[in-house]
Amino acid sequence: MNVSLNWLGTHLDVAGKSIKEIDDLLTFAGVEVEGIETKGIASEKIVVAQIMEAVQHPNADKLKVTQVDAGEGSLRQIVCGAKNYKVGDKVPCALPGAALPGGFTIGEAKMRGVESKGMLCAASEIGLPEGEDGLLILPEDAVIGRPVKEMFDSDVLLELEVTPNRPDLLSHRGMARELAALLKTPLIPLETPEEKLASAEGKIRVEATDTCPFYSAIRIRGVEVKDSPAWLKQRLESIGLKPINNIVDVTNFVLHELGQPLHAFDAAKVSGAIVVRPAKDGEIFHALDDEKYELSGEDLLISDESGAALALGGVMGGLESGVSASTTEILLEAAYFTPQGIRRTSRKTALMSDSSYRFERGVDPAGVLKASALAVKLILETAGGEADAAVLAVGEIPVLTQPVVLDAKKLDQLMGGSIALAEAEEILTRLGLTKLADGQWSVPSFRADLQRHIDLVEEIARVHGLDNVPSRFAGAFVPASAVDAAYDADMVLRRRLAALGVFECQTIKLISDAQMQDALPLRPLQDGDVIRVKLPLSEDHVVMRPSIIPGLVASAVRNVRQQAKALRFFEMGRVFRNAGGGKAKDQESENLALLVSGNAQSAAWSQKERAADLYDLKGLISALLRNQAIQFFPRDRDGFVLSCDIKAGDQNIGVFGRIAPTRARELDLPAETHVAELDLAKLRKMISGVQHVEDLPQFPASTRDAAMELAATTANAEIEKVIAKHAEPLLISAECFDVFTDPSGEKLAADRKSVAYRFTYRDSGRTLKSDEVDAAHQKMLAALTKGLGVSFR
Amino acid sequence: MKEQIAAIQTEALARISAAEDERMLEDARVAVLGKKGSLTLAAAGIKDVPKEEKAAVGQLLNAARTEITAALESKQLALREIADRAALAGIDPTLPGRPILTGALHPLTQIRDEAIRILRRMGFALADGPEIEDEFHCFDALNTPADHPARNEKDTFYFDSGKLLRTHTSSVQIRTMESATPPVRIIAPGSAYRRDEIDATHLSVFNQLEGLYVAEDVSLPDLKGTLEYFLRELFGTSTEVRFRPHFFPFTEPSFEIDVKLQVKGQAPRWIEVAGCGMVDPAVFDSINKGRKDDAFNPDKVTGFAFGMGLDRLAMIRWGIKDIRLLIENDVRFLKQFA
Repeated sequence: MNVSLNWLGTHLDVAGKSIKEIDDLLTFAGVEVEGIETKGIASEKIVVAQIMEAVQHPNADKLKVTQVDAGEGSLRQIVCGAKNYKVGDKVPCALPGAALPGGFTIGEAKMRGVESKGMLCAASEIGLPEGEDGLLILPEDAVIGRPVKEMFDSDVLLELEVTPNRPDLLSHRGMARELAALLKTPLIPLETPEEKLASAEGKIRVEATDTCPFYSAIRIRGVEVKDSPAWLKQRLESIGLKPINNIVDVTNFVLHELGQPLHAFDAAKVSGAIVVRPAKDGEIFHALDDEKYELSGEDLLISDESGAALALGGVMGGLESGVSASTTEILLEAAYFTPQGIRRTSRKTALMSDSSYRFERGVDPAGVLKASALAVKLILETAGGEADAAVLAVGEIPVLTQPVVLDAKKLDQLMGGSIALAEAEEILTRLGLTKLADGQWSVPSFRADLQRHIDLVEEIARVHGLDNVPSRFAGAFVPASAVDAAYDADMVLRRRLAALGVFECQTIKLISDAQMQDALPLRPLQDGDVIRVKLPLSEDHVVMRPSIIPGLVASAVRNVRQQAKALRFFEMGRVFRNAGGGKAKDQESENLALLVSGNAQSAAWSQKERAADLYDLKGLISALLRNQAIQFFPRDRDGFVLSCDIKAGDQNIGVFGRIAPTRARELDLPAETHVAELDLAKLRKMISGVQHVEDLPQFPASTRDAAMELAATTANAEIEKVIAKHAEPLLISAECFDVFTDPSGEKLAADRKSVAYRFTYRDSGRTLKSDEVDAAHQKMLAALTKGLGVSFR
Repeated sequence: MKEQIAAIQTEALARISAAEDERMLEDARVAVLGKKGSLTLAAAGIKDVPKEEKAAVGQLLNAARTEITAALESKQLALREIADRAALAGIDPTLPGRPILTGALHPLTQIRDEAIRILRRMGFALADGPEIEDEFHCFDALNTPADHPARNEKDTFYFDSGKLLRTHTSSVQIRTMESATPPVRIIAPGSAYRRDEIDATHLSVFNQLEGLYVAEDVSLPDLKGTLEYFLRELFGTSTEVRFRPHFFPFTEPSFEIDVKLQVKGQAPRWIEVAGCGMVDPAVFDSINKGRKDDAFNPDKVTGFAFGMGLDRLAMIRWGIKDIRLLIENDVRFLKQFA
């Protein structure tokens, strides 16, 4: 809301207050000051001066040296570059120390070797609207030495954000009332004529009393619609409103003066009685913004007996019914519309006006007729004419406030004893409340937000200020939660991954349909398992991600475009899905996703470039989970090749895959882009570290190497399976250290491969003899031959 | 014999001195002192020396052995010194080190962890709740009127099921109080969603940190002390903190909190960092109604709640000008947080 400081000054003496004081006052009253705009001349040190002499500057063609009379008893020498003046003109002179807009201050200086004690100013240089080129020539009757600001209007425009619970502040009177209470200064009384009420029988019919409990109108005949007088135009312009005509301007003025929206109809356009009725379903309303709105029975229309819609009640007037140049007789509406009704209509039609803004927050019911009276007075003043003796009114002015109890004990507890009851009561009194018996307080009609004890406490706390409340540093002890444990585990995993050279990402959890092809959820999705938002902002954010990988893929694509070479990313967070084709709804779980692509090793003087492959990602998972045996089990998944289930020990912990070649090409990603999505809940349980320390072996181990030849298609996992099944008690490890193939078939048939393993044997109780190791090893080789038909080289 | 010994000694010393490496030196040692070395063989001849000369020859032999051994040792030291020095040739310590891949935690993780560590030190435990919420937990129980603008389909993401994406982590307050009993002292970091177009200052998915403390005799001084302490731990012990009255449906009185910070190259200014307030009794009433008990009787317990935007804290902390940097994951950006 825009507030003019001059306008505020008509309600409250703010002359002695600096902008900073007003800013602080409002800020700590709970009104956010979003902007402060100063209009007109700010500095007192810009004075009227007469140019007495102007001679050519000795060292500069374009400058003159002037002697000016600034009313100081002696002349002042100022160097000036303007050309539009003549000797004898009166112009603004900024004396040394004058602060000009743009934040610079005038000083004394030498200009090209000639002393200059101030500055002669153009209009734009002192904060006035741009005038003609050169100095601002002041009228001949300007008084030499007087501040120029006295000759021009100056004002301060405050842009204020009022919280939704304080509709009473949405006017200059309301804001002044609040400031008066805070400053402990009186408000300048506001005189509004008393209005006489008359029965509206046959002239106004309200058929929607629930949304319009009170409606009034007064007829004014013989008005002359024309431009508003200067003062009224200036008031509206001072808060950024465009003057339209005297009638409309008066209603706008009253709205911003008192906070009560009014509406003036051209009486000639109203046929018969005014009918306040619910709109018909599907009824079209042509508003004065020249847009058409489709309404329903929940919306309130002001219409006439013919059924023609004159206005969308409390929101906007109709295109046809408004005041125009030819209007001679008006009906001035002043009503109380309920916030709920207006809010519904305003939201549905997306129509927001200064009027709906106030009605939907709640206007002061007791102010409706005062506003009408003020408007009538001003219309008669500016447009002439004659008003009816009485206002036609239907319904009751609602009473929205009731006495509220202030519980002194509770107040003391909440404030930590920082305010005495008498002081608290004084605050409430300043805010317009009245003390009744038994701790009850009567609340003024404009403060319908004060309904409960706690509402009074809020007022006291707000005015008292938290600065005046002590700080207490204490709190109850509470046990750590399961969420604490999960968080700690997640941080361990995160730190491990960062130390392993992986960058943590954060992506948007809403993804596009197109991105769904990159999803690799732990369990494949069925129709109905995807959760979509109803009204997406754009097609990029439609689906709740069932997998984190699409986000990481998009991040990788963006980085490739920026020439990033190594793509190593992880993200932890929630994924969302239904299950069983939508039978189980809204499941949220937490995953860890990894993406490895591009360089595993960059080129340097010390090393060759190496592209990351599947084994980099697998190794990363092994390093992350350390003491877990990580195994991959191939399983087809849509959109990926080489896809596998990932097991740690005997638990399924996630899925792995390489992005399908066509998709990688489409995205311009490296051909070998590998991803994995892991179940975070399971991972958290795997990082608890050692439970019980194993004794170190006391006896030496012996190793035996074996190179076995087998079909190239046999998976390594088959070898591991046979070794595991054989369960040699002396064997403590078996490591694959070489895989050899020869596609040319020269050294080894092309469909065969040679796999070399190193077997390590040890007994925990004694040193093994060489022949014991040999015997165990031979049994192991025999088992491999039997199990897989391998031959040894 | 004496001449023979002198000759052996002279030759041995010459050979030792001529040795160019440790191998030649070893050869020289074997040739003189080895089993079949010249001095060893000469020493064996002592049995043929006349008895009266034996002592003198023996002395000579010993002296020769001592001198040759000493020469061997000093030559070995000299050769090793040369070899050690040669081993350093060609090593240029000014060449760059071998590249080792480094990663980093996301700035949001870092600021969130910092906040969590401070608050846990202050005795808060973590809590969470679903992101796909119902209107009850997101709005109704938080004293939000049925026609509050935040409930609008234009401002909040809804699903066909009628559920919605939580617009704030305050829903976790409700989730927690439904199952706990006072004292409740929790913080809940998490995502929240608003139907905002993504631009330099807005994300449709953003990150918040919620806090709630409910117990007997929790008061405004508790709220003030807790948040002052937290913000000073986060931004520096001398940071100025101010509380501006504000309005939230679920707290009363409510405040917004500003801290005075100096952004590089600018004058210090007040920057809004959090919202807070005393839990509105209506929230407790709604909890009790749901629980069908009186665990959060507003006549017995009071509480305060606070919430802050973590994305915003990260932007303030590191001078991040565009919030989208936090979701784009550009490595050039992420690297700066390594």
